[in-house]
Amino acid sequence: MNGASHALKRLNCKDLISYLKTLPPFILEELYNNPATCLAVFRNLPEVARHYVMRLLFVESPVSQDVIKHWVVKGEVEKHEKSIEALKELQVWDHSPIPGGLPGWKLKPTFRQNFKVVMLGGGTSWTRGSALEPDKYTKDVDSLEKYAIDRWECVLNFLVGSPSSREMLTADIINLIEYSGLMTNSENNHYITPAGFQFLLMDTASQVWYLILQYLDTVEDRRMNLVETLTFLFEISFASLGKEYSAEKLTDGQSRFLQHLRELGLIHQRKRKSGRFYPTRLAIDLANGCSNTISETVNGFIVVETNYKIYAYTNSPLHTALLALFSDILCRFPGFVVSNLTRESVRNALAHGITAYQIINYLKSYAHPQMLKNKPILPPTITDQIRIWELERDRISYNEGVLYNQFLSQNDFEILKEHARERGVLIWSNTAKRMMVVSLEGHDDVRRFWKKRKQDS
Amino acid sequence: MVNVNKGVLVECDPAMKVFLLNLDETEALGCRFVLQNLDDTHLFITTEILSVLQDRVDDLMDKLSFPQQTEDRN
Repeated sequence: MNGASHALKRLNCKDLISYLKTLPPFILEELYNNPATCLAVFRNLPEVARHYVMRLLFVESPVSQDVIKHWVVKGEVEKHEKSIEALKELQVWDHSPIPGGLPGWKLKPTFRQNFKVVMLGGGTSWTRGSALEPDKYTKDVDSLEKYAIDRWECVLNFLVGSPSSREMLTADIINLIEYSGLMTNSENNHYITPAGFQFLLMDTASQVWYLILQYLDTVEDRRMNLVETLTFLFEISFASLGKEYSAEKLTDGQSRFLQHLRELGLIHQRKRKSGRFYPTRLAIDLANGCSNTISETVNGFIVVETNYKIYAYTNSPLHTALLALFSDILCRFPGFVVSNLTRESVRNALAHGITAYQIINYLKSYAHPQMLKNKPILPPTITDQIRIWELERDRISYNEGVLYNQFLSQNDFEILKEHARERGVLIWSNTAKRMMVVSLEGHDDVRRFWKKRKQDS
Repeated sequence: MVNVNKGVLVECDPAMKVFLLNLDETEALGCRFVLQNLDDTHLFITTEILSVLQDRVDDLMDKLSFPQQTEDRN
């Protein structure tokens, strides 16, 4: 219930566009050398921005900013500005004055050239689907799905601390999990962190994307080339499920990346040395980031009753462990688990940084088909109670600060209050009583302002 | 002349505020801790008391809730 737990780090999961925006311009420039990247970026642009790109694709000279502004009808200026901003930040176009000196926009040559390849065809093949001899161990879509889910569950199982999962992962991936702050390591024992708990309750696509983002962060430390890695990631995200691709022409860095992806279940490769690989659904959905929700074929298995009981028809130790995060397991049978939602169990989860929304969302997304017939899916008593338990923790909020009172004149008070407000450090004030509270960080600044004012007068 | 105090701004509902004021008046935590009674929903308290106070409020919340479905546990 303290200030610290309020500020508990919410897992910040950026989508593709916001990730790319964090990259330095020269890396983006290099990325656009690959048509696959251009297409992935184009698809994730705001709608208006996509129109701009299409209109400008064959215009070699800069186009005046005023002209572009008139492409949108009045009242949609906000969309226009957002698009302009996105295109600029993603280095798709750049300032370039038109003859006569007026400000204009011009598509960057690299992007233009490679995006033309996307639209018109030509160039070299970028999906590595080149003629391979038929594979005698060919994989069908179903077994690929199963493989992907099995591998990914290994990671999740490791997070919930199943002992057997430890041997299934290599040190690289375990380090990655530690690096992402999902687990901490003390004396060779791994403990899950609040961030890890939140991670477990996210949907699979967001989980994969989160871990891949963390991976990309560490690419430089692994002495791999970020551009190569990202390019490969984009290429496989345009691959088709159930098709085989050649691993022959990969660079060293990309081959290592391939092995890591293989371990996470994003790619199936029969043997390390085998010259071909199959991307799984996890990889193919990647370029969507987590902004687009993917229609997952989840078989619901959870029944929630109004008496706070949860019945889960599952054999999976992972699902059982997840349920145990926020409910008390009462009994386990083969293929069936009964647990109980209690104030203690939910509070325990809340204390670990899991939100009521995440719990409800988890129960909802894995609801048994029988439950789906109800409207709303979960009994309102349960969802309300979970939210109330969360609110209960928020009954008091604490905010460290500095109180200013006993001002001699109303004028002094007003001036100081205005100053604090402008700086955004005022957290409470009362004019009648001439009292105000300034946040701890803002105190020094306000004090300096006050001293200076007193000297001046 | 301006008086400056460091502390913690507490925001809560009026009922909770009365409870906090009562803790302060009866010195239930060993000392007084409310520096200023700001308004219906705000108090200004000393920083040192924070952790003790949080435990105490947690206790109160525990007392306020009733274990549900005790018969299920048997």
